[in-house]
Amino acid sequence: MSKRVLLAEDEPNIIESITFLLERAGLAVSVETDGRAALDAVQKDCPDVLILDVMLPSLDGYEILKQLRADVNCVELPILMLTAKGQREDRETAFEHGADLFITKPFANAEIVAAVETLLEGRKSV
Amino acid sequence: MPRTIVGTRIRQQRHEIGITQSDLARRAGISPSYLNLIEWNKRAVSNRLLQRISEALGVPAETLDGAIERRLHDELLEIAHLPAIGSSGVEADRTDEMIGRFPGWSRGIAALAKAEQQSFRSAQILSERLSNDPYLSEAVHRMRSRIAAVRSAANILVEYDDLTNEQVSRFTSIVAEESTALSHAGEALTNYLDKAEGADRILTPVDEVEALCEQRNNRFEELERAVEAVETDFEDNGPTSRIDIARARVADHLQGAIVSLLEQEDIIKSAAAHKRARDLLSDYAISAILMPDEVFKTKAREARYDVEALAQAFSVSVDRVCHRLTALPLSDEFPKIGYVQANAAGTIVQMHNLEGLQLPRYAAACPLWVLYRAQQSPETVIRQRALFPEGARFVFLARARHVGVSGFGRPRHYLIDMITMTEKDAQQTVYAPDASVPLEEVGPSCRLCSRVNCVHRVEDPLS
Repeated sequence: MSKRVLLAEDEPNIIESITFLLERAGLAVSVETDGRAALDAVQKDCPDVLILDVMLPSLDGYEILKQLRADVNCVELPILMLTAKGQREDRETAFEHGADLFITKPFANAEIVAAVETLLEGRKSV
Repeated sequence: MPRTIVGTRIRQQRHEIGITQSDLARRAGISPSYLNLIEWNKRAVSNRLLQRISEALGVPAETLDGAIERRLHDELLEIAHLPAIGSSGVEADRTDEMIGRFPGWSRGIAALAKAEQQSFRSAQILSERLSNDPYLSEAVHRMRSRIAAVRSAANILVEYDDLTNEQVSRFTSIVAEESTALSHAGEALTNYLDKAEGADRILTPVDEVEALCEQRNNRFEELERAVEAVETDFEDNGPTSRIDIARARVADHLQGAIVSLLEQEDIIKSAAAHKRARDLLSDYAISAILMPDEVFKTKAREARYDVEALAQAFSVSVDRVCHRLTALPLSDEFPKIGYVQANAAGTIVQMHNLEGLQLPRYAAACPLWVLYRAQQSPETVIRQRALFPEGARFVFLARARHVGVSGFGRPRHYLIDMITMTEKDAQQTVYAPDASVPLEEVGPSCRLCSRVNCVHRVEDPLS
C-alpha cells in the first residue's frame, strides 16, 4: 500500500504541482487548504508525512506544529515545513516548534520529492 | 568665532548693489552722517534699524549681522568631526578663513553634508520598512508563492515527457496565469517602493516643520489676524474649560486659514509633515485665542515676561506661555525669546528661535545647561546666568513639568521647557540677573567648546 502524504497548503496551483509530483513518486496525497481542518485531519488519521505551509487560513503552520508536537499520537509524525517566509528566524522558529525539514518557496521539484522520501526513510536530512 | 562687523557688511552690500550712502540713509530713514558712523562700525545698530537697512538693501537681516556665517561656522566644525571625514587632515582651526575666502564652497560643503545625512536617514527608513512593513512582507510572500507555482509547473512540463494532453494544457495554463499575476505583483511593489522613497527623500517631517518655523521666526502673522476675526467669548460657555472652547474655535473656524497658509509654503512637502504642521499651527491658533496678540503683548510687558504670572493671568499652562513668547514679533520692543523642549533622556524634542545658540545637530548639548538639571526641582522655574566660552551671556529659564497619568505609586515622567534670551534682552524681564547672580560657565557642546579643562568634557574640542 502506498505511503500517505497530507499536504496542508492553500495555493491551488502549488497544490496541483506538488500532488502531481508526489503521485508520480508513488505516494497517496490528500489535501487540506485550511489550518484547523488540516490539524483535525492529522489527529483523526495520522499520515506518513505532513507537508505544512506556514501561512494558512484559520490556524497558521507554527501553531499546528506546536499542537501536533504536544499530542502523544503525533510526536513522531515527520513534518516538512514549506513556506515563502525564508528568513533565518522563520527557519529557527520552525525547528524550535518541532519541524523535521524546512523548504522555502520557490523550490525545485526534485527537492520536494527527495525531502518527502527522506522523511519516509526516517532520516532528518536530505 | 568673532562676531562679524555689521557696519562693514552694510557698506560692502551697499557697494555691491551700487547705491550711495545718502540714498541708503534716506531709504532707511536715518541721516547720512549716522549711517556713515554705522558703516565704519562706530555706532551699534539696533535690531529694528538693522531690519530697515536690510529691507532697503533687499537682503535678509541675517546676511548683515553675520548670523548665517556663525551658523555655517558651527556646521562646518561639526562636519570636520564626522566619522566619514576620518583622518583626512581637515584644517578645522582655519574654518573662519575658509568661510571668508570661499563662502560658496563652504555653503556647498555644509549642504552636501546635510544631503548625505538625509540620504543616510532615507536608507535607514527604507531598511526598517523592508524588514517591518506588513505590506512589503505580504507582497514578498505572495511573489515567492507565485514564483514557486510558475517554477514547479514549468519544470513539470520540461521534466516529464509522458504527460497527457490534458496535463500539458493544465500546467501550461498555470504557468501563464501565475506569471501574469507575478508581473502585476512586481509592478505594484515597484510603485509602492517609488512612493515610499519619494516621501522621505528630502527631509524628515520634523525637519520640514522646523524649517517652516525657522523661516517665519516662529510667528505666523496671517494666523494672528485670522484668530482676531474669530469671536471668542469665554464667559458665555458655562463650565466648559477655556482650552476646550479655544480648541473648538480652531476646529470649527480656523482650519481653512491653516490649510491656506500651508498651501503657500513650499517647504512642507510630505503628507506626514503636512499633518505635523497642521497640528502645530492648530496649537499655535489655540494659544493665540487664549492669549490674543495685542492683549498678550501688553500683559507680557506689564508682567515683565514672568512666565508664571502670565500663566495665571491667562489661565493657561506655563509651557503654553513659553511657546507664546517665542511668537512675539522681532523688534526692539520685545526681548527675543527662544524655546527648547527636552525629554528626561536629554533628547531635544523641539527648538525654536535659537539664534546665537546653535544646538548641535549630530551630538548632545552641554550638560551644564539648566535644561538638564530642572528635573531636580520639578514644577519650579530655575534661572541660569550662562556665560559661553567666547563671552556671550544668556539667561536660561527651565522648568520640568510632569506629563502623563499621575497617581500614587505611579512613576512620574517629566518634560523640560526652557526659554532662552540674551542677558541684554533679559533686562526687560523679571529674570534680569543682578551682579550678585553668579555667572555659570557653559558651552555649546563639547566639540564646539574651548574650555579644555572642563571636568564634564566627554570628547575633544574640534579646534
